[in-house]
Amino acid sequence: MAESASAVALSGVRRIYHVGEPVYALDGVDLEIPRGSYTAIMGPSGSGKSTLMNLVGCLDTPTEGEVVVGGREVTGLDERERTRLRGEEVGFVFQTFNLMPRLSALENVALPGLFRGEDRATRRERAAALLERVGLAGRGDHLPNELSGGQRQRVAIARALVNDPALLLADEPTGNLDTDTGRNVLDLFDELHAAGNTVVMVTHEPHVAERAERIVHLLDGRIERIESVDAGDATGTERDATDAEGDATGTEGKD
Amino acid sequence: MRPVEFLRLSWRSIRGHRLRSTLTTLGVIIGVAAVIAFVTLGASLQAGVVGEFSPDDGRNVYGWAADPDVEGGPAAGAQPVFSEADLEAVEELEAVEAAYGYATVGTQAVSYDGEQVAQGDGLVASGPSYVREERLAEGRQFETGEREAVINPAAAGRFEENVSVGDELEVTLLGGATTTVEVVGITDTNEGLSPFEGFESAPRIYVPTDPYYAEQTDGLGIGGEGAGESARFLAIVIEAESADEEAIDRAREAAVGYLESDASDAGELMDDELAVTMQTSTELLAQLQDVLDLLQNFVVGIAAISLLVGSIGIANIMLVSVTERTREIGIMKAVGAQNRDVLGLFLAEAVILGVVGAIFGTALGLAAGYLGAWYIDLPLVYPLEYVALAIVVGVLVGIASGLYPAWRAARTDPIDALRYE
Repeated sequence: MAESASAVALSGVRRIYHVGEPVYALDGVDLEIPRGSYTAIMGPSGSGKSTLMNLVGCLDTPTEGEVVVGGREVTGLDERERTRLRGEEVGFVFQTFNLMPRLSALENVALPGLFRGEDRATRRERAAALLERVGLAGRGDHLPNELSGGQRQRVAIARALVNDPALLLADEPTGNLDTDTGRNVLDLFDELHAAGNTVVMVTHEPHVAERAERIVHLLDGRIERIESVDAGDATGTERDATDAEGDATGTEGKD
Repeated sequence: MRPVEFLRLSWRSIRGHRLRSTLTTLGVIIGVAAVIAFVTLGASLQAGVVGEFSPDDGRNVYGWAADPDVEGGPAAGAQPVFSEADLEAVEELEAVEAAYGYATVGTQAVSYDGEQVAQGDGLVASGPSYVREERLAEGRQFETGEREAVINPAAAGRFEENVSVGDELEVTLLGGATTTVEVVGITDTNEGLSPFEGFESAPRIYVPTDPYYAEQTDGLGIGGEGAGESARFLAIVIEAESADEEAIDRAREAAVGYLESDASDAGELMDDELAVTMQTSTELLAQLQDVLDLLQNFVVGIAAISLLVGSIGIANIMLVSVTERTREIGIMKAVGAQNRDVLGLFLAEAVILGVVGAIFGTALGLAAGYLGAWYIDLPLVYPLEYVALAIVVGVLVGIASGLYPAWRAARTDPIDALRYE
């Protein structure tokens, strides 16, 4: 992990939507996600989880503040450069899997490479290797609707990994899965984390969040607190938001 | 991204909605098919009617009397007004070398050596010089007053044994009466010798008006006001002194002047509503061409409208498709698809629909055109440049109808698109 120590760094980030009156979806957030870390983001609806995810995933730009993804400042980029950064540095995993319905599993995994201009043979080879890695060897020819939910999510994870991203961004990845399948998918995330991938997971289920090394609690567009989870111990200990540099705006006056 | 990959991915989407894509393409298919069919038919019609015919009627001018308001080909709306005496008088005119009538004698069949074939087109009755010397491959011109005929190679070849000069044919006239002709000459072409016949290839038998036309009118009582009066002709052919334009104009003026005056039988018979038209076949051909062109432009115009409707169909279905696939657009953008990639994908889809429509339309149109041409017995013509043009039109239709939908797809916001249900 070369250029910078953090996969993502946010400082003083505000995101304001103008729907009649200005709405502060994020209201001053500082957060650093080190490379190789496993972070869960929790919070009730309307707390700014989605906005944070969009910013980290380079889908959106902040109204104020700085977002650095994979060592690059996102705020000043135009749409095209942002799209490229997104394709190269971020791997998305969604609650609803979001596979292309008419493409086979292999083609779905190979899709990001297509937009990067890689040739067909390279793409397919890499996609096949990743499918094997997520335990779907031999399923490459299946269409998404011929796969179970868990298998689909594995395809989505393989696709997220295909460009060697700086971080894996998962949005409720177990939300549409039954408990057992969900546990398997979470095990896969653990494995990927152990192998050195940076994982950011948005969830509202505590047992999912507790798999992470630390949990960022959002409330009303601010970081309420950051909780560290001890490896092997599910209970975890609470701490002030010391990881967030320059002190957390989110920790105070929010009870 | 490479063009081949675009096409591959777009083709996948099209195949995903087979029925919808087929119906969408149908609009373009019908439009292109209509254009191609009528262009093929038009080209065949032109080849059939006009043919390779390069008008070289030398000194001949063709005339008929009709209401000047009647539009149409040679002898359209013609009335039988020219009498034998008129022809003789015209021939006396200084500018005119010769004048004779033109008529067809209805027939049922022709027999040679006991073998009978149907011949509905009849005998072409005219003066000896109607079949010009240089058109004769064998034998000589027929003579007026004799039971003689010049036939063309198509007529000669209709029997098991080819008819040759000196043979005798038996002709069954309309009404059942039979008459005989002696073949004295064979022409070198199967095309018509004058615009009155039309220019297409057909078996033809040329005979003198006397006796064949005279006998027929006597028998049926047409052409003259009473029995005993000589036959009247619908059409006449006059020969100018030479083939240059001035001589032809002089002959034309003199003949029209005489025929429209009260001195002639024709002038007496014609009231103010009729006028004599005299034209060379070059002029007549040009008129015919105008009519054909007009017809073709009209039909191609209609077909172009159906093509427009077809492209609106593509545009419409592409818009539906963009909305329907909003989420897919979001996914592609999330994994790194640029706006131009999305634009290209949807544009490729529209172009594929357009081109596939154009290809099938062309095939269908050619089939329909050839079937039509074959059915009405015209020579087949292959307007290959139109096939190429049709493909280009397919591409253009695809681009024109796909551009706006594709642009809409390209500028879809990925955040909204991913949330889209």
